[in-house]
Amino acid sequence: MARITLENVKKSFGKVKALDGISLDIKDKEFFVLFGPAGAGKTTILNNIAGIQVPDEGLVKFDGQIVNLVDAAHRDTAMVFENYALYPQMTVYDNMASALRSNLYKKDEDYINKRVHEIAKMMSMDYLLERLPSQLSNGQKQRVAMGRALVRMPKVYLMDEPLAHLDAKLRNAMRTELKGIQAQFGTTSVYVTHDFMEALSLADRIAVINEGKVVQIGTGDAIYDLPINEFVATLMGDPEINIIPGKLSKEGSVYKFAMKGSGREYELPVDQDLFAKLDTLGVKNVDLALRPQHLRYSFESKPGYLPCTVYSYESIGNKSVIVAEIGGQQLRMIAPNGLRVKIDQDVYVDLDLSHSLFFDSESKDFMARYNEAEIRRIAEPEEEG
Amino acid sequence: MSGLKIEHVYKRYDNEGKGKKKKVNDFAVKDLNLEAEVGEFIALLGPSGCGKTTTLRMTAGLEEITDGSIYINDVRVNDLEPKDRHIGLAFEDYAMYPPLTVYDNIGFNLKAKGVSKEEIDKRVREIAPLMQCDDLLDKMPVKLSGGQKQRVNIARAIVRRPDLLLMDEPLSHLDGKARQAMRTEIKRLINEIKCTTVYVTHDQLEAMSLADRIAIINFGVLQQYGTPAEVYDDPVNEFVAGFIGEPPMNILETTIIGENDHFFFTFANSNLKIQVPERYYNVVKHGFKCKMGVRPMDVLIGGPDSKGTPEHVATFENLGDERRIGIRVGDLLLMLITEDETRYKAGDTIKLEVRAEKTHLFDIETGDRIRSN
Amino acid sequence: MKSGPKLGTKILLNVLLILYAIFALFPLIWMVILSFKSDAQMYNTMFVFTPTLENYRIVLFTTPYPRYLLDSLIVSGLAVVVSVIVGVPAAYALARYNFRKKEDIAFQILSFKFAPEILVVLPLFMIYQKLRIYDTYFGLIWVYQLISMPLLIWVVRGYFEDISVEIEYAAQVDGYTWWQIFFKNLIPLIKPGLVSAALLAFIFAWNEFTFPLLLAGTNVQPITVAITKFLGTDTAHYGQLAVAAVVSALPAIIFALCIQKHLVRGLSFGAVKG
Repeated sequence: MARITLENVKKSFGKVKALDGISLDIKDKEFFVLFGPAGAGKTTILNNIAGIQVPDEGLVKFDGQIVNLVDAAHRDTAMVFENYALYPQMTVYDNMASALRSNLYKKDEDYINKRVHEIAKMMSMDYLLERLPSQLSNGQKQRVAMGRALVRMPKVYLMDEPLAHLDAKLRNAMRTELKGIQAQFGTTSVYVTHDFMEALSLADRIAVINEGKVVQIGTGDAIYDLPINEFVATLMGDPEINIIPGKLSKEGSVYKFAMKGSGREYELPVDQDLFAKLDTLGVKNVDLALRPQHLRYSFESKPGYLPCTVYSYESIGNKSVIVAEIGGQQLRMIAPNGLRVKIDQDVYVDLDLSHSLFFDSESKDFMARYNEAEIRRIAEPEEEG
Repeated sequence: MSGLKIEHVYKRYDNEGKGKKKKVNDFAVKDLNLEAEVGEFIALLGPSGCGKTTTLRMTAGLEEITDGSIYINDVRVNDLEPKDRHIGLAFEDYAMYPPLTVYDNIGFNLKAKGVSKEEIDKRVREIAPLMQCDDLLDKMPVKLSGGQKQRVNIARAIVRRPDLLLMDEPLSHLDGKARQAMRTEIKRLINEIKCTTVYVTHDQLEAMSLADRIAIINFGVLQQYGTPAEVYDDPVNEFVAGFIGEPPMNILETTIIGENDHFFFTFANSNLKIQVPERYYNVVKHGFKCKMGVRPMDVLIGGPDSKGTPEHVATFENLGDERRIGIRVGDLLLMLITEDETRYKAGDTIKLEVRAEKTHLFDIETGDRIRSN
Repeated sequence: MKSGPKLGTKILLNVLLILYAIFALFPLIWMVILSFKSDAQMYNTMFVFTPTLENYRIVLFTTPYPRYLLDSLIVSGLAVVVSVIVGVPAAYALARYNFRKKEDIAFQILSFKFAPEILVVLPLFMIYQKLRIYDTYFGLIWVYQLISMPLLIWVVRGYFEDISVEIEYAAQVDGYTWWQIFFKNLIPLIKPGLVSAALLAFIFAWNEFTFPLLLAGTNVQPITVAITKFLGTDTAHYGQLAVAAVVSALPAIIFALCIQKHLVRGLSFGAVKG
């Protein structure tokens, strides 16, 4: 159990700046997710916490104690590596027992035996214990790598994409399992992923990382509903959020949004707080962002609906996505499976603007959104961000 | 005329030398029958090692056909060399010629065939915008991102105007975002050039989103061949039902009981009770054991006055776009998906309703679908 | 269904292989035959002769031949031991750490093997005379390890590079010290490569001729040099010569047979990478 603090951590590899001033405060017992695209520096952060790498600048603290000079073995962490890093010459059992046999974390063989079997059972891989890593599939290897970390009760679990190579079914199950384990043991966990669903599902808090910097830290709700900029907004959600550039204008007490490309001008639904905020900001060129579930389609012309053409129609399993196009602007929306839709046919689209987010189209930073106060109350439970 | 016809095709690998693995799965492909219309986009879908890539390679002529026939545009191609089959190939690992520009890479095959310079130029410039690689033409392959390489790769496959386009997991190297974008691109491209296409993938999402028809293969045997809607709504067996859809279909063992002229699904160690659709009444009886499958989106949270079974929330996941709730049914979790904004906690009670008409029955032994007669 | 090449082709291929094998092995076979011939029948090219163990008796019991064998064993064996002790850490460093001129150093090590021995042996002779290590065990071991070390370093380096560095990280996180990781995790993983490289290095050292010929000769007499003594100034005892050669070749052959399975895989697995 530990609180982990990173203060302005910098790390370069040759000329490449991997981490550029990372500051994080991971609370005791927290499930903390590092989320971002490939190459963002997530794994490097993990390695710096584990002590496998040492920051060029900045401090790593465990419970307030500076650990920069403590080597990996003495930091009392357990790590799941993305490429599994199983010991090839040892059986699954010995792999899992490895840490408990080291001088540092030594336990007697009876305890080890009990613990390994307990964890193996939980991960439903007890039948694998006698095998060598070379005899396992990737999914099984990944489970062993997880199991090896879980047999110990360290100060912190560090997990690098531990579910990435599992098939969908197993991944769903393991996600649930993992959450249960963390809730049960209450061990501080730092979890790296590029899958937004994993991040949202598991995290107490998420740090969005990009190009070696922290972009935003917050609860899943905050990241999803109050993204700090368009980059974060587009990372969350599948299909991706619609970003619609346009111009704001005010007539009397009414705000209007002129959508670029379509020539359509929408009157924005009234939300006094939002309008007040837009007044103060005074930005005219904005990107309006709307999640695909807040668009509606019709194949017959309806009043207020925007006439578009179908750019694509794709089933994504449990639902489908229609991408409509108007004046070079693509609009993604959710539709049921099995519609008879032809590419380039007409489609009429309605925007439910009362869920819009507004971004400054210059800086791409978050400006305001509908129901902001209410959403903030849910998304930022204790302290204000 | 059919664009592609695969007739009773078998593939057996000679395992004599290795000895060991002989018995397990003799045939990589077993009595495969498929037909695609001209211009149709079909996907071969299945877990790794199911024989889908072998089928593709046999179609391409890279692998010998053990038995059976393959026809491309009604021409039997069993004995034709790959180069004479008029096919375009886009494979997983983009092998481009590194010292050539993108332009020359795309035109390379035409050049080899002795097509005139003007004609090559015309065709390359015609294809490039379709794959959105017109501004890449002067670049060298090393300068391209993964997504761009794949675009060039596909452009190279279609520039020959093949009768049949074969793609083997062309998106597997791309990350989520690029993959999503490429999927749309491919879909539009095929719509544009109207070329019969066979697309191999293990990702049900890709197959569902791209294909006109999907052939689901397991252990070398075709399980089902149908449109995305058919395989999704009307799976022939438990394997197909579980393979298509994310999250997968809930499949639970059940004992059917009869009560007051009605039949209900009941589950071990659970008080969940779901009515059996009436169309099955002539195939089930009291005490009948089978498996029940229902998609997570056909399980609903009832309102306050719902007659649904009260159940405790076991797991709750907020995924932004949707929320997933797990309910313990015996040892298993019954998943449901909701767009309900409520944040539930483990232990909360919800009224569980199931769209009974959407349930499927599977044989407990064979996994085959039990249909109403 | 087709099943590989036709029967006729198979037979033809095998006949060709057998012919080549006879051609390649003939000198060895001839040597073994010679060792069983008496001097009288020596120049008889027919395969018919009266086998005798006389040559073996003379060589093994009346000459200091066993001492020459021992010398070879000491010199080659210790050279390999030195190579392993110095070479394995060197290979690890070359595989894991980035330092300036790394590849140059690696190439420099390999280039020891490129230089023709006869070229370096004369300066070495002078130096050895000055350092008073001419004709000593130490002197020979020193020059022998030059032969065995490059091979060892290059093979073992490839093995280290194939082990993902995360395995070391994982072991660190598991609470092991670097030395424990090295001996418990890394050494077992490179063992096949290490063993085959070491044995091959041993065979190379064992067969070395130029260096011992010019840098030793009285106090230390490895077998390769000592064999020439059987070519007397007056008569050549080819039978005894053959016996000496057969016996001296035995260790190499035995080793090669023991490790032949590992040898091919061991040498290609680690070192050769795409």
